[in-house]
Amino acid sequence: MRRVILLFVCLALLAAGCGKSSSASDGKVVVAVDVPVTGSPYVAENIRHGVALAANNLNSGGGIIVGTKTYRLVPRLYDNHLSARQAVENTRSALDAGAVAIVTDGTGVDATWQIANRDHVPIGITYDGGTGLVDPVKRPNVFRIAPTNHGIAFRYAEYLIPKGLKIGLLHDDSAYGQEGAAELDRAFSENPHSVALRMTLPAGATDLSAQILRARRTGATALLVWAQPSTIAAVLTAARSIGWKVPVYTSPTGSDPFVRQQLADHPDWVDGLTFAGGRLTAEVGTGPFQSFQSQYQNAYGADKVGVKTSAGKPVIQPPELAMYAYDFTHVLVAALTRAGSLDAKKVLAAMNEVSTQGANGDERGFNRNNHDGVVDDDVYFARFHDMTYAPVKDDPLSSTLPVIPQTP
Amino acid sequence: MRALAAATLCALVVAASAAAEQTQQVVLPGPVPYPTDSPPLVGQGTLANAYMAPGLHIASAQLVRVGVDASGRPARVSVRQRLVVRGKGDYQVAVSGPVASVRPAPGTESEPGFRTDQVLWAGFSPGRKILAADVGLRLEPAAHYLPLRLRLRPEGDGVSLTVANATVAPVLSYEGVVRAAEMARLLDATRRSSLAGQRVKAAFATFYGPVRNPTRPVRIEAPLLVEGTLQLPGGQPVRFSRILGDGQPLTFTVHASGSGKPVVHLTARPAPVIDLLRPPGAPTWSQAVRRRHLGPAALLSRLLGARQRLVRADQYQSYLADPDSDGRSRAVYEYRTVATAAPRSVPAPAGGGSGSHALLIALVALGSVAVVGGGLVVWAHS
Repeated sequence: MRRVILLFVCLALLAAGCGKSSSASDGKVVVAVDVPVTGSPYVAENIRHGVALAANNLNSGGGIIVGTKTYRLVPRLYDNHLSARQAVENTRSALDAGAVAIVTDGTGVDATWQIANRDHVPIGITYDGGTGLVDPVKRPNVFRIAPTNHGIAFRYAEYLIPKGLKIGLLHDDSAYGQEGAAELDRAFSENPHSVALRMTLPAGATDLSAQILRARRTGATALLVWAQPSTIAAVLTAARSIGWKVPVYTSPTGSDPFVRQQLADHPDWVDGLTFAGGRLTAEVGTGPFQSFQSQYQNAYGADKVGVKTSAGKPVIQPPELAMYAYDFTHVLVAALTRAGSLDAKKVLAAMNEVSTQGANGDERGFNRNNHDGVVDDDVYFARFHDMTYAPVKDDPLSSTLPVIPQTP
Repeated sequence: MRALAAATLCALVVAASAAAEQTQQVVLPGPVPYPTDSPPLVGQGTLANAYMAPGLHIASAQLVRVGVDASGRPARVSVRQRLVVRGKGDYQVAVSGPVASVRPAPGTESEPGFRTDQVLWAGFSPGRKILAADVGLRLEPAAHYLPLRLRLRPEGDGVSLTVANATVAPVLSYEGVVRAAEMARLLDATRRSSLAGQRVKAAFATFYGPVRNPTRPVRIEAPLLVEGTLQLPGGQPVRFSRILGDGQPLTFTVHASGSGKPVVHLTARPAPVIDLLRPPGAPTWSQAVRRRHLGPAALLSRLLGARQRLVRADQYQSYLADPDSDGRSRAVYEYRTVATAAPRSVPAPAGGGSGSHALLIALVALGSVAVVGGGLVVWAHS
């Protein structure tokens, strides 16, 4: 009996000397996916599917080779409920589970990055474009593949100011709306004559008639709305129902299926709505993205918007968010391969040194100066017609981009 | 007599045929390859995948800033590189080198990326786009490829500055039988592109009979226009402007009187070949060979030397590479005396840093092994 006890003591001491345990010991590498399953299910599903699709592809190809060993990539889902506090809890759980990285929509990153950074674990944001979330110097473990608010705001200024419009800058009072408004203020600060008014809208309000009437009276000839999808739908409803055919431009949330679902009875109100987003195709054409979309739909089915075109065809949402999560997972695997070990410090350093070909054919990667994988130049503008959208023709980048099919 | 004439004619025809059989077109130097691998500077590691949309062109202008110490030795080297992208489309390019730091430079319309030994640029050009970066370089590998060597030393009642062209390199040359008229035509074409500031264009020369390489390699240099001042505190600046190379001396020395710390500020630019391509006594080489006898061998030697110097000068227009290998590249090298700190020994890592972690891990590991070993001994004897 004494021998057994002594053996256990020795083994325990050895294990203590080896440091934190990792799920890698059983041939698995865990990637945590911390998303708002119960707060924003569309976003959560897309991100989860993007990581899972990348993992399935890699695992079915024999797994990932790190150093001399082969591992399976295992996504582990956490629900942050859009709560920073829950995101902190989830981050701790993920680190305890030995996760090599955390893929997130961005919820709570202001609080979670330090916890993850103590263990040199990278965090990959694939939705929130908020300024300050990513800072290669202050937050060396935070990376992002998603269009930045900064990039979108400045691209809008570049796009709209030459048109000579008097723009009403509207935002809702959600955190998302306020962050966007701050970026728009900066982007338009050198051209104040282009701005007809700035207005905060109550998020979640369904009737914005008074606010839109006021905007019309100021002489605005265009509205730029940075808000949640429900606010965008309410703005369009208020403007169109009084016969105001003002052009409406929006943040990426304008492409959210919710906007079209809300206005399904008035498809003409959606016509002309222009939103900004990250380009879905590279110079090589639509091939790579369509291949990705096909894999995605085979695995998880098409993301139906819930509306139809005038020809009666159901409209499908291209898996943009899934693409970013998919790409981040591939960059992470490239970093693991380059590091040649699961040593978190080495993996984190390698994140700055690798690129992979993204799902849309573009190169994806980070570097020491920039942890944003979608550069500002990649922000394009698309306009709705008949419940589907196409890149605009009056912007140099957008005019070069092909249309992604959105009906079966 | 007729028979003799006929025999002579036959002999000439045979000789001409034999010569014609031995005629060969020899590629003249330029625009590439360069005589040495660097410049442009090359870093360690593999460059990121490059992509430029068809029809896109990138021109590079760079200011190479060299800080020199009190003896004239380089103490720091950095480059402000400004790339002008023309055309519409995507680009993803990398500039290699012994890169220590990268920051956006004034006027840039995009942020430069930084990986080990490379500057990254990626984005979309709507028609024209400026990409500018301040690139700090590791001193030793960067200084090795600078075009000038400076030496500052006290002398007499003041200080002397010696400036030497450091671009001299051995190159392969040719010898053989050529025609003066063709050499003159090629010299004129080379001169025109040199005076226009263009890259030397690809060309061939016809050799009659065997082509030989001289046993001793020819040494050529990039001609450099060097302009600047040397000044001592309170004294008048001593100004200078020289061409180093192109038939002129490869070094010069200037002297400033006075005392105190000397201040040097000079610029060097790769210069065209002018003197070596100046035709003797005529506006063009073609006219010169018609007016008087100029030996074809001497003309060939001059042509090769001039073209090799132009190639070398073109090489120094790209201290950092232009990501577009067909792009126009221009470089100015600016040398300036800077205050340098005395070399210090590298301090030990502060307490609590990675060093102490390493020590802690080692102690834990040793302790674990000792305990396990002891445990096994006790177990074995229990």
